[in-house]
Amino acid sequence: MDWFPFLLSARVATLATGINLVIGIAMGWLMARRSFPGWDLIGAVVTIPLVLPPTVLGYYLLVALGRASPIGQALEALGIPVVFTWRGAVVAAAVSSLPLMVQSCRAAFEGVDPELEQVARTLGRSEWEVFRTITLPLAWRGILAGTILNFARALGDFGATLMVAGNIPGRTQTLAIAVYDAVQANDLARAGILVAVLSIFGILTLVAVQQLGRRLAA
Amino acid sequence: MLELEIVHAWPGFHLELHLEVGAELLVLFGRSGAGKSLTLRAIAGLFRPASGRIALNGRVLFDARRGVNLPPQARRVGYVPQGYALFPHLTVFENVVYGLRGSPREIRRQGMEWLERVGLVDLAGRRPHQLSGGQQQRVALARALAIHPDVLLLDEPLSALDAPTRSELQILIRNLQRQLRIPILFVTHNLAEAMLLADRIAVLEKGWLLQVGPPKDVLHRPARREVAHLVGVRNILRGQVRGRDSEGWRLWIGERELRARPNPLDPPPGEGTAVLACIRAEHIALIRPDRPPPPDGENRLSGEIIGEIDYGLARVLFFRVHGPRLTPEREYDLEIEIPPYVYERLDLERVRLWTIAIRPESVHLIVAEEEKEPPASVLP
Repeated sequence: MDWFPFLLSARVATLATGINLVIGIAMGWLMARRSFPGWDLIGAVVTIPLVLPPTVLGYYLLVALGRASPIGQALEALGIPVVFTWRGAVVAAAVSSLPLMVQSCRAAFEGVDPELEQVARTLGRSEWEVFRTITLPLAWRGILAGTILNFARALGDFGATLMVAGNIPGRTQTLAIAVYDAVQANDLARAGILVAVLSIFGILTLVAVQQLGRRLAA
Repeated sequence: MLELEIVHAWPGFHLELHLEVGAELLVLFGRSGAGKSLTLRAIAGLFRPASGRIALNGRVLFDARRGVNLPPQARRVGYVPQGYALFPHLTVFENVVYGLRGSPREIRRQGMEWLERVGLVDLAGRRPHQLSGGQQQRVALARALAIHPDVLLLDEPLSALDAPTRSELQILIRNLQRQLRIPILFVTHNLAEAMLLADRIAVLEKGWLLQVGPPKDVLHRPARREVAHLVGVRNILRGQVRGRDSEGWRLWIGERELRARPNPLDPPPGEGTAVLACIRAEHIALIRPDRPPPPDGENRLSGEIIGEIDYGLARVLFFRVHGPRLTPEREYDLEIEIPPYVYERLDLERVRLWTIAIRPESVHLIVAEEEKEPPASVLP
């Protein structure tokens, strides 16, 4: 049994989730608490990976980060090429799971009564202190639920990852791609194990999120 | 001393008020939507009026013309919103000391001191959801006062509480006000509470400040029809001043004459002036035939009780005058309020024909022109 896809997927999903957590908290908070023109457009752009075919998303990333693009060239010059490396898998997983994180964070922040923050301000606490001591502690369950969902989605990404990172065994072959590879090679036993692991993880994730949701409502 | 000058307008609503509040308890009184909460939010820095100026002990918090608008953090204002807004994830103690700074020891000392003052030392470790409404309000009060604010703003602080808890807290707030000697702005739409607590009452209606004064003045000498209505004057009759003699003013109301001797502090209305005569329903007396009649100077009217409402603690009778009417346009002329025991003793269920007496002093006059237009705006 080749354990590489497990390790790679764990690393990719963890990094993608970490990046998204920072972006998601920032964007979710802005969407819940500030409004300015153009927000709907930005919201739509962030959410679009949810409705686009993964291949289309992969195509955009490939064009944006590939050797022909200025960004790709800059990354290459810095010695951190993205396309067809494990980093490409991280980017693909992050972008395709970002909508889940942003929406969860937004809902979590919207669930915090703004009046609590206002009272905290009248008590002399700075904006950052109010965020740290009131907003975040009251929103963390929703953010945690979003983080778990994000991790699960990042772990299971297939289409965009295949386009951006390719299918290089021992280098960019994640779990989801390994399933495809095993089926193509007619190794159904191996495919079965991988599928079982991904399915069990998915179910556990959803149970955890549901329980968080119930405790949130209570 | 709090100096307030707030002007704001958006479609369908206009808020404008000018007020000076000393070290007193000022009740902002009016129905919901009158602009009471908005006024508190403007003082706390949570709402920015279009123009005006707010100063606290000479410190300018907001000045539209000079572009000054201090953030809430810098205002030193104690704010207790409706529903208290306690931090649900913090304990009672953590809530109270949230705005305090200093060494942990000093914070602990001050926090415990405040908990003692509001009688919650035993509950220091509880969470807000484990407290009763009255206890929650005490926490909110301690939290707001712990920062030594220069003004305390209370938005309907007692309206969600049961009657016994309410009176406990009324006493607590009254005592705190005496000890702290800072302005307290107290929003309520409960007339009895306003009368009990207020040094002065400011009556707001649809964003306009209609009258400011001691509770007794507002209650007995409302300056406008809306105020009379808000303070529970049931009989507001249209009339005209006919003349004046040694007994006071003679009014023409509907089809007959009434005598009025309004408070000497009110400006005397000229002859021919259209007025609203305000008579409190509880100031009308039924004359018992077995007792000596009231003095001659009083208004006496004979008529009939044609309907009634039983409020439990009071009975309201609808009285129709015989002969020339006061309000010919409707079925009854006056509403009379009496306690239930009087109702029973006079056997009012069966005896419906009565003569009533109204003292001229009980007829308060509002010059009717004033009620047509809202007060003139001071600012453009």
